[in-house]
Amino acid sequence: MVNLEDLKSHVARLLEKGEVSYVLGFQKGTATFMAVPAFIAEAEDAGDLVWDPTCVHNLSLYLTAERKIQATKKQTAGKPIGIVCKGCDSRSVVVLLQESYLKRENVHIIGVSCEGNGVLDEKKLKRFLKGKTPLNAEFDGADHYLIATRDGDVKVPAKEVLADRCLECKDPFPAENNVVFGERVSGGRLPPFTSLDAMEAAAVGDKWNFWKEKLDSCLRCYACRSVCPMCYCEECVVDSITFMVTPTTSPDQKANRVRWIERSNSTSENFGYHLVRAIHLAGRCIDCGECERVCPVHIPVRLLNKKMEKEAFNMFSYEPGRDVNQPSLVSSFRDEDPDGHIL
Amino acid sequence: MAKLDSHDVYMPAFVDDNWNYVVIDDAKAAGLDFAKTIHSPKNIVFPQREVMFTFEQEKGGAPVIAQTIPDPRPFVVFGVRSCDAKGLTLTDIVFSKEYEDPYYWARRNKGVFVGLSCNEPPDRTCFCVSTGGSPHGEDGLDIQMTELADSYYVKSFTDKGKRIVELGGSLFSAAAAKDKNELEKVHAASMTHQQRPINNLAGAPAKLKDMFTAPFWDEKSKACIQCGICTFLCPTCHCFDMNDEVSSSAPLKGERVRTWDTCQFPDFTMHSSGHNPRPDNASRLRQRVCHKFQYFFENHGVHQCTGCGRCVAKCPVGIDIVAAVNGANDYAE
Repeated sequence: MVNLEDLKSHVARLLEKGEVSYVLGFQKGTATFMAVPAFIAEAEDAGDLVWDPTCVHNLSLYLTAERKIQATKKQTAGKPIGIVCKGCDSRSVVVLLQESYLKRENVHIIGVSCEGNGVLDEKKLKRFLKGKTPLNAEFDGADHYLIATRDGDVKVPAKEVLADRCLECKDPFPAENNVVFGERVSGGRLPPFTSLDAMEAAAVGDKWNFWKEKLDSCLRCYACRSVCPMCYCEECVVDSITFMVTPTTSPDQKANRVRWIERSNSTSENFGYHLVRAIHLAGRCIDCGECERVCPVHIPVRLLNKKMEKEAFNMFSYEPGRDVNQPSLVSSFRDEDPDGHIL
Repeated sequence: MAKLDSHDVYMPAFVDDNWNYVVIDDAKAAGLDFAKTIHSPKNIVFPQREVMFTFEQEKGGAPVIAQTIPDPRPFVVFGVRSCDAKGLTLTDIVFSKEYEDPYYWARRNKGVFVGLSCNEPPDRTCFCVSTGGSPHGEDGLDIQMTELADSYYVKSFTDKGKRIVELGGSLFSAAAAKDKNELEKVHAASMTHQQRPINNLAGAPAKLKDMFTAPFWDEKSKACIQCGICTFLCPTCHCFDMNDEVSSSAPLKGERVRTWDTCQFPDFTMHSSGHNPRPDNASRLRQRVCHKFQYFFENHGVHQCTGCGRCVAKCPVGIDIVAAVNGANDYAE
């Protein structure tokens, strides 16, 4: 069991001793039952921290945000930042370390083990509750959640409402950590990549129809990109800010600037955006599932990244985020790597 | 449905775990027992992509430009919530006050909006009453329906609305005094459901004006991930970008299109010099909140938020405009 009081006192102690500048964690939201990110800078605020099945966010995103702010302000990294990490979240920190985007000494990883339970999928929960509004969610043993509603508490089997990624998670434990709360329990309620089975078995035409329908509803709000800790590029191919205009720039040059992907939310541009993003996550995505969770129109974005993850695993036996000392997939080379794709 | 052959009919349908307005040809496919739709009817009258004109130029020839004003079939939207209908009236102001936007009005004038009173708030994040609205508000609607014990009470306010009721013919019967009594009771009861309060709505514009440089905005915006969900789903956000999309270079051919844009994207305010006057989360959240509760009020005498709660319900990191406005009202330096 993760003892929340232990977590709180650890965070308070870190801040009292000045060992970290602030701690990224979870706290109660003001509007819904889902937890929200917390930025705890004072020891007395550590009491705000929560740990429950609604702590879905991958907070490592804010480590990359902090680095960008430091770069803009031309500051050097100060004290380490404390960060509460589930197993998946810690693996994304590991990828950022492998890619030298972060330095290990600048991060204090406060691991929390999901202990085989994981976090819930709000959509599945709403379906399960059939219209009842959830007001609060707590772990209830290893296999259940206790959901409070206006009509009383409901005991919900975890497997019914767990996020898909948690069902497939092999190791719901933050192996890379400075301190860890909770026991290491093996995961794998479903074999890895199970969620791809239906898609891979479908005929090509059906796949096209499926993705066309889903991606045509894309709003290009870029929430999937914005929430992704791996999408830390200073400039993104879909943004319009890369073209610098000077007094000598001609109207022709302005009109003919390269735009790889137009802003129109048409089929071709939406496919362009999502496929570019998926390719850039190959061998890097650790399946925190945030992209799919945040999508307001419920595009199954995770499937694209999961497919890339599977390709990387099948071709190179590579699993991102497992070992800080392992090089990242795209920056490593071995003689025995498959070369069938080389002309 | 056959009676409305002359119109496209939008109704809420449940697809991919979301309610959304879709054009239907069979009333059975849709329902009026729906929670909040993911989009408001805003994007029927102000679609995310609108072609403004096409252009074409043969080498050496003069450019040929053709305006493309949309010409949709007349349409009816069933099951519009009062917050969203009020939102339409606010967007109407934007697209008509100084300049009448022909693209917007070409769609808007073709629409008949049939409201459905919220006898109970469809979602926990609703706060229409707190923004001066009402779960049975009539602003922006042509027809309002209220569900009574065994019938709908239907009121039409506009000529367009009355024509639709006439098309319905025998589907409707005159309301009796007892129906009006029941309607009043149902409407009164709908006002008693607890919603999240906004403290001192009237004082918000002045208070926000004083807080332009307050560190409050840093605190409230820390978790923002800079996506466009809050604004793209908002029934009153209306900002757009314009681009020329070239489909052929010889001969030169293409379209000028406008697409939704949002103040929450960092590049929204990026100058071509590289300077960005709203460089951080704080200034962008401030813009969103102040536009709804200060600037729009200063310009048009009405708040721009109708309390639909979509931005609150759908924010991936729990940023909450109700908490932001209340926090601002309570804020002391």
